[in-house]
Amino acid sequence: MKFDPKPQSRFNFKLEGWRSRVLLLFLMGWFVVLVGRDMYLQGFNASFLQHKGQERYSRVIDIPANRGIIRDRNGVPLAISVPSESILASRENVDIDEHQERKLAGLLGIDVDELKQKLDEGKHNIVYLKRQVSPSVADQIMRLDITGLFPQRGYHRAYPKGEEVAHVIGFTNADDIGQEGIEYAYQHSLGGRDGAKRVIKDRAGHIIEDEQNIRASRPGQDVTLSIDYRIQHLAYRELSKAVEQHHAQAGSVIVVDSLTGEILALANCPNYDPNDRHHLSGAQLRNRALTDSYEPGSTLKPFTIATALELGKVTPNTIIPTTGGVMTIGPARIHDTHHSDELTVSQVIQRSSNVGAARIALSMNPKDMWNTFTDAGFGLPPKLGFPGETGGKVRPYRTWRPIEQATMAYGNGISVSLAQLAQAYTVFANHGMLKPLSIVKVNGPVSGRQVFSAKTADEVKTMLEMVVQPGGTAIEAQVKGYRVAGKTGTAHKVSGRHYGNHYVASFVGFAPASNPRYVIAVMIDDPQGAVYYGGEVAAPVFSVLMGSVLQMNGIPPDDPGSGDYHITTKSDAAEDT
Amino acid sequence: MKAFSTPKLLRSEYDIALFWAILALLAIGVVMVYSASIASAEADRHTGFHSTYYFIRQLVYVSAAITAGFMAFQIKVETWQKIAPYLFFAVGIPMLILVLIPGIGKEVNGSRRWLSLLIFNLQPSEFMKFFVVLYAADYTVRKAAFMHSLTKGFFPMGLVMILVGYFLLKEPDFGALVVMTAITASILFLGGLNWRLFVILMALLSVAFVFLVIMSPYRFNRLIWFWHPWADPFGKGYQLTHALIAFGHGGWFGVGLGASVEKQLYLPEAHTDFLMAVIAEELGFVGVLFTLGLFVFLVWRSFAIGRRAAALGNHFGALVAQGVGVWIAVQTIVNVGVNMGMLPTKGLTLPLLSYGGSGIVSNLLALAILMRIDYELRVSPRVRMS
Repeated sequence: MKFDPKPQSRFNFKLEGWRSRVLLLFLMGWFVVLVGRDMYLQGFNASFLQHKGQERYSRVIDIPANRGIIRDRNGVPLAISVPSESILASRENVDIDEHQERKLAGLLGIDVDELKQKLDEGKHNIVYLKRQVSPSVADQIMRLDITGLFPQRGYHRAYPKGEEVAHVIGFTNADDIGQEGIEYAYQHSLGGRDGAKRVIKDRAGHIIEDEQNIRASRPGQDVTLSIDYRIQHLAYRELSKAVEQHHAQAGSVIVVDSLTGEILALANCPNYDPNDRHHLSGAQLRNRALTDSYEPGSTLKPFTIATALELGKVTPNTIIPTTGGVMTIGPARIHDTHHSDELTVSQVIQRSSNVGAARIALSMNPKDMWNTFTDAGFGLPPKLGFPGETGGKVRPYRTWRPIEQATMAYGNGISVSLAQLAQAYTVFANHGMLKPLSIVKVNGPVSGRQVFSAKTADEVKTMLEMVVQPGGTAIEAQVKGYRVAGKTGTAHKVSGRHYGNHYVASFVGFAPASNPRYVIAVMIDDPQGAVYYGGEVAAPVFSVLMGSVLQMNGIPPDDPGSGDYHITTKSDAAEDT
Repeated sequence: MKAFSTPKLLRSEYDIALFWAILALLAIGVVMVYSASIASAEADRHTGFHSTYYFIRQLVYVSAAITAGFMAFQIKVETWQKIAPYLFFAVGIPMLILVLIPGIGKEVNGSRRWLSLLIFNLQPSEFMKFFVVLYAADYTVRKAAFMHSLTKGFFPMGLVMILVGYFLLKEPDFGALVVMTAITASILFLGGLNWRLFVILMALLSVAFVFLVIMSPYRFNRLIWFWHPWADPFGKGYQLTHALIAFGHGGWFGVGLGASVEKQLYLPEAHTDFLMAVIAEELGFVGVLFTLGLFVFLVWRSFAIGRRAAALGNHFGALVAQGVGVWIAVQTIVNVGVNMGMLPTKGLTLPLLSYGGSGIVSNLLALAILMRIDYELRVSPRVRMS
């Protein structure tokens, strides 16, 4: 092929100028159109397009509010929020190889199949791979440099004192909402309010720009509890020991400041570690002192006696016939373990005579007894705010038959929680005035409710002191150097419709008796050992704990002359029902 | 014959304004390619997550292209005319065939457009645009006497272009075909091709288009879906709606260099075909206007040089100069038109600015010849009779 660059004829070739101008005009026309279109897009239609843009890349996100700290009465932190990260994945953007998959699964603590499932299944683009990982783990994950993964800042709840205060504090769920205990009861003030802001995100979900603050976050408020961690620590330790020693099914202890009604310690067994809640069972979760009601048994007798004293039916020295420790009402018989023909009212308490209590009860109107029980807080939940608080059960007095009135006198046919019982005993510690329980720290004096006259309450207090004296049922509740008042209880557990061979052993008492300050209630559920009486199982817990609490708080001894309690009288103690 | 007189004042031997306009466009391109590609380069395993991946490569391409341009400038226009047919038939067309052969041609996103040459990939269709300019001009000069004839003037070139078109559609690279057809048609038109032929051609196309609309509204809708990108903003309208959002977000004065949101992985091909959308977002209407202004200046200069060459009898130079102008203009118009949702997406880059080596080298070869034509007119202002 040969191309001659010259025109192939002698034709006088001339380019026509108009063609060039027409073509240039045509092209310039297009440029004018482009500029016009651009003015429309960037000027007149810009707000529409910007609105569409907002829909695409502008998002409102939460600014997590820091949850309040829960402290004990002395400022010891019991629940705190520590920064944590959640790892999220934008599934459509995730780009991961097998090596990264294995490493990521390892850091997340899941197996590779589970990871794949999280990344491949589901309808949402953004998924949580793991919530609440520590910042260092999150850092390691982000350093794997996997496209489509990003961290989200949040807070994670930590419980420095672990299982010791588990039932009081409770815990929060993955969304930082309280589920149990104080975390639940005080969710409103602890939780604060999440803020919100509008941000621009890139397609992979990273925030590239803060656009506007919609709402500032309001941090949660701290809550200061009435709990004294030092006492709580001891209470939990002593309770655990006793539950283990007696092979009991469960147990609870509650320590109350009788002047203010503040709960200084509250512990249950079994319990759980709030920092590790895998394998959590319902039995571990239950805050038994508040949620479980049981038949209190003899610990209720002082209220029967006080009612009779208040009504003038008896005096502490009135002789009550106990007819050899047996009493018949219709087809039913009531027994004492201690066989005597007559006891003074004081001795009825000291020796815990069912027959004596029943006979005194039958001298009164059912309504009077019912009023006392209700005034003492039985049948009504203490309203501390905990989930599942029970009020126990006190049946309406109109339905009481004489046998029921008689058995209720010594705490059968009625049910209460340990917390209610402790609250009720503040009456005898405070010259007849009941101080409502409080789980948060109380500042200043607390107005109570006068249930009995001071005279009646003090008379009963004197009787309760006899219980821990030689001849009483709870020698082992004695505290060296202090006068102690209290009452044992050993109730058959109802299984089905009958009383079986299982017991609830309890002791409720207060000290120093001359000027009461602390009420401690101990309950051991179903002790399996050789002993099961409240005086043997629950009273020793009371004694050790009360001694520590009194000394720890520098309460001056009111009975410096008292020595060790008499081990030899231990057999006498086993007379209670 | 009027003697050409040189003004007393010293005139530059080069078109300095044109030179700076070209450099300005290249500079805007490098900066905007960097800005547009940072996010996507960082998020991509294939770039090794280096944010400067495309930036560094674009710098290398531009340097190579400027070097190639300087070298091309040294070659006389006369020589270019001599080798034009060989470049077209012996280099261009074989490359278009080679690229189609599996194993030699490299396939990306379903298009077989690249020849893999060890250290870089070469895109034959980009160079073919340059060869088409040279060949069409040479052809027109040779066939000047037959420009009024349909069979002798139009058909030979038409047949050659049908062949080229066939290879291009095999890749496929429809955008390149559009540009080459526009270049060829423009040069034939400038060379004196019977304008009645043009009118008839346009009329036929219009009738065919109307016929299509009447016969099959469905197909028509598929063709013009880009007029309604908001009907399917997450499907086929995805890329275009994001480009339009970029324009809107930019407003009159832009959100500022580097501040584009759309380039943050939303807008695909932000550093290549949709670079203008990022310019619009970051630099606003003002930035778009300035960039388009440089292109308009470039096109206007090429036509001015062409007309001067024609007046001085350098017909080949005149047609090449205007052919280069048409090339730059058409490719810019189509690319920006696509960005603004006026034309269907065709896969054409923005000349001189978009990321890519072959395109920029080819553009600068053509512009170097444009400057050479101008240079020869200035240094030897004698009417060349041929």
